[in-house]
Amino acid sequence: MTVTVKFWSYFKDHTECAETSLELPAGATLGEAHAVVIAQFPVLGDMQSSTLKAVGVNYQPDEFLLSDDDEISLFPPVQGG
Amino acid sequence: MKTQLTLTPDPIDEPALIAEREMSDGMGAALIFHGVVRAQEGEATIAAIDYEVFDDMACHQFELIFEEIDRQWPIESVRVVHRVGVVPVNEPSLWLELIAPHRAEAFQACQFLINEMKQRVPIWKRPVVLLA
Repeated sequence: MTVTVKFWSYFKDHTECAETSLELPAGATLGEAHAVVIAQFPVLGDMQSSTLKAVGVNYQPDEFLLSDDDEISLFPPVQGG
Repeated sequence: MKTQLTLTPDPIDEPALIAEREMSDGMGAALIFHGVVRAQEGEATIAAIDYEVFDDMACHQFELIFEEIDRQWPIESVRVVHRVGVVPVNEPSLWLELIAPHRAEAFQACQFLINEMKQRVPIWKRPVVLLA
């Protein structure tokens, strides 16, 4: 299956792109997708523990089962206000 | 509970917002909060903050926060304006209004809204540093 990964805030600077796409086996989890992203962009590994992860417009845990065409967002802690 | 959320690059027009206020006879508290851009960001003196927002998710997360407020307090209405893009020092980046029967629930809900926003609404800030 194919999923899109969007980067926000300074993650875009680190990856030098706003988004990428991943080919993942059926049944892949959000945590597994995150690991693939870190393999592709090792600089994000330093921020792995503080990275917030969403699918669509909802936060999801690493165990979340992805579906074809899901849109993942990875970003640093939020700072509104 | 009535809600209104605005994410805008434009300066916050408080007189216009107040002119649009709807408040029923049973309400005794209208609480307004401004979050204002400070000149100091850590050690640096800054000129502004550049706010980035993930619009769809921010709107959804604010809606979840509004639903939680509605469950916890008898708030009649919540209005939120958050600026995006560059906001100069001394200008508000955030404007909130809560209408409630009494001040206690208005203050509590206001604190809750801001705390939750800072935990889960995908908005990020980037300081704009003054050039020497």
